[in-house]
Amino acid sequence: MKRTWLYTLLAAMIVSALLLTACGGPQPPATQAPAEEPVEEPAEEPAAESAARKVATFIWTQEFDTLNPYYTNMWFSAITQQLWNAWAWDYDDQNAPHPVLVAEMPSEDNGGISPDGSVITMKLRDDIVWSDGTPITSEDFKFTYEMVVDPNNAVASTYPLDLLVSLETPDERTVVMTFEEPFASWQATLWHGLMPAHIMRPVFEAEGTIDGAAWNLKPTVGCGPFVLTDWESGSYARFVANENYWLGKPKIDEIFMRFVPDDASQVAALKTGEGDLGTFIAYSDIPTLEAEGVNMITVFSGYNEGWYFYLDPEKGHPALQDARVRQALALGFDRFSLNEDLLLGLTEPAATYWDNTPWVDPSIEPWPYDPERAKALLDEAGWIDTNGDGVRDKDGVELVLTYGTTTREIRQDTQAVAQQQLSEIGVKIELFNYASDIFFSSYGEGGPAATGANDMFEYSTVPNFPDGDTSEWLCREIPSDESPDGINWPAYCDEELDALFQLQVTQVDFEERQQTFYQITRKIFEEALWVGLWQDPDIFAIGPRLKNVKLSGATPFFNIQEWDLTE
Amino acid sequence: MTRYVIRRLLQAIPLLLFISMVLFVLMRNIGDPLATMGGRRVTRSSDRERLTRQLGLDKPLYVQYFYWLIGNDWTKMDLDGDGVAETPGRMRGVLRGDFGTSLVNRGKPVLEVIWERLPNTLLLMITSEVVVILCALVVGVYSALRQYSLTDQIVTTISFFGYSLPIFFIALLSIYIFAVNFKRWGLPYLPAVGMFDPQVGKTPSQVILHMVLPVFSLSFIYLAAYSRYIRSTMLEVLSQDYIRTAKSKGLPRRTIIFLHALKNAALPIVTVVGLDLPFLLAGAVVTERIFAWPGMGRLFLDHVSRADTPVVMGILMLISIAVIVFQLITDIMYAWLDPRIRYD
Repeated sequence: MKRTWLYTLLAAMIVSALLLTACGGPQPPATQAPAEEPVEEPAEEPAAESAARKVATFIWTQEFDTLNPYYTNMWFSAITQQLWNAWAWDYDDQNAPHPVLVAEMPSEDNGGISPDGSVITMKLRDDIVWSDGTPITSEDFKFTYEMVVDPNNAVASTYPLDLLVSLETPDERTVVMTFEEPFASWQATLWHGLMPAHIMRPVFEAEGTIDGAAWNLKPTVGCGPFVLTDWESGSYARFVANENYWLGKPKIDEIFMRFVPDDASQVAALKTGEGDLGTFIAYSDIPTLEAEGVNMITVFSGYNEGWYFYLDPEKGHPALQDARVRQALALGFDRFSLNEDLLLGLTEPAATYWDNTPWVDPSIEPWPYDPERAKALLDEAGWIDTNGDGVRDKDGVELVLTYGTTTREIRQDTQAVAQQQLSEIGVKIELFNYASDIFFSSYGEGGPAATGANDMFEYSTVPNFPDGDTSEWLCREIPSDESPDGINWPAYCDEELDALFQLQVTQVDFEERQQTFYQITRKIFEEALWVGLWQDPDIFAIGPRLKNVKLSGATPFFNIQEWDLTE
Repeated sequence: MTRYVIRRLLQAIPLLLFISMVLFVLMRNIGDPLATMGGRRVTRSSDRERLTRQLGLDKPLYVQYFYWLIGNDWTKMDLDGDGVAETPGRMRGVLRGDFGTSLVNRGKPVLEVIWERLPNTLLLMITSEVVVILCALVVGVYSALRQYSLTDQIVTTISFFGYSLPIFFIALLSIYIFAVNFKRWGLPYLPAVGMFDPQVGKTPSQVILHMVLPVFSLSFIYLAAYSRYIRSTMLEVLSQDYIRTAKSKGLPRRTIIFLHALKNAALPIVTVVGLDLPFLLAGAVVTERIFAWPGMGRLFLDHVSRADTPVVMGILMLISIAVIVFQLITDIMYAWLDPRIRYD
């Protein structure tokens, strides 16, 4: 009897926890999109209507950190923005732009781009409205610009709005942006989302910042085909069809996003039908999912996996200063078999950093697997095994290279294969693996890639896809004690290449710019400054119930309002 | 007893300060919150330089710690990088109940981040703990009373089988049997992930249904240790003279086992449970991850991987406080269970 209180306490704790988790949570919402005013829900939804309700479940292996487009770098948050927010224009499955918030794409012909390319004028559609019915006007663009560049707001990136000299709004439907110099990369980088001035301005005026605005984490007013109704940390986010969406009401009533961090659990959920869409699927899981009737769609979003070499003339390995050695490494590694065996033939070796964009010189073909030619190049460069230990050497320096990457399984497998194959041409490879947040740390934080702790590194990155601009190869981006945040981690500076990169970003004429990129891609390829391993597509698993699905590399869910759900 | 409790609580203050200092230094050295900021690309250098300043990460470590502890609303910050500190700080500091805001869920107060997950974790972990203790009592007492019997051998084998399996294996195996294959075979099946079915809504019955597999996995793993512990302490107590005396007095077997033996065997069990309780708050990292249960374990893992110092510090300080409090409660329980123990 004395312990009755203990049992009572335990029972009370369980019941309290159950009540806290269950009773506080939402029931499935009504089909009506929420507005600022509370939506009147029917007291009891008719059973037939409830049964007909189309709810698609997406499995996300990472939960978004925030939903404000300007406060996040996360891919999962960026692709979710296609549901509830809108880019000024998005990209279709051929990565061609089409207008969403603007009436037509700005061009020289329609006066949207000034002849020198430094002024871009956007004409907004007449029918665009926030989900609460408030019209979207040029004021929302101006407000978004002001918030992004305001130092009181710790946004993830101010680029490219920080390049603007001015943003003017002569009327409700016109936005005029003036850059200091022609800005060729505008189409791929401008207006990835919008903030509602009528909701956020009062927050900024009251608090002096929008860092803590409730809208950032619960933007129940949006401008996409769906509207967020609730987001429970670690569990789910729910989006319902936006009745006010100007490109047509979605056919699906609700998107339920479930956060499932474990890959195997994601696969299980897709198999049981608890998920209708998943992404970041491991290559090894693809056959079993296909056997269960799940469709796999691969889309290229500009990422290419490759080797970077640490080329600092003083601190880098002497062998890697010689282009012939780098070429030999490319020739001595069978990337074709790797793609066939480890990546199940779903992708292919990348030739350049810009594969799957229009910026690559079409005459470039990936380095073939040719160990004999690799050996000949090493001999020619003077790297010969003089002491008979199986490893080439020159001037007393052994050709032993350290190779660092993250702990991702496919990267570790690649390391192992490369180590074995490169040993056959007399190059000894020592392997290093790092947790990704450490691997990608800056020079100032002592990151191994940024400080050149290893001779070669493997990872995948992307230019401003589908644009080709990147600052990764600029001389000014070489990190140092004075400039610890630089991102030119190979520490490679070539004046000719640097000038080409500076030139292309100012070339508004597509064909002229393409020719500049052809020179860039050819130089980087021929000198093997970067060696592509594989084109790194985004893999989506689409359950059998989802229909009309098209995916784009740049804006995956560009036609989500047309998707349908069948039993 | 009151003086003892007060003394222990006062001793906890410098201990917590020391713990917070060590943890803060460790946290600020295990990762770079601005490396990719959860993205697939390295943060642009100009953004990185700006964010380092805006988030106060450019300050020396000891300054960052003091701001975390006592706040920075008494001083001004240079947010625009012009070298002039003109914007008042916004942190009030832990000592004034402000654990700061998350670097990941930008602007969200740490306590709010933790509070959203705590009930889910308590629900899962307390249920599992209760299931484990109840099953362990049944198995442990039964095995002790029938030592070396066939049932004892079978139960021991099964419990050791569970103990030696990694939890991710049990968890995934249970998903593949009870969710994937049961559905394939046309049998009633259990949900694989999450807390509820979106078509039905978050009702208590849905939450209970979704708890079955994670609770089963957690219980299966921990049952062995607890039941072996109970078995061995019961065996020790059953060989004591006072049990023989009770038997010779002709007391009913049930009274001897549950009143005389189990109560005295409970002291070491209370120690184990008491030490385990604070860690229930930390959740179960692997189980929560596999079953997509939105608990503290996943929260910790997600935020550690992005070096979110404020949230991780909040979780670790919460657990540190819980360890101290539960150890004190365990000590008090000793005195209640064993009248020979006195603290005054």
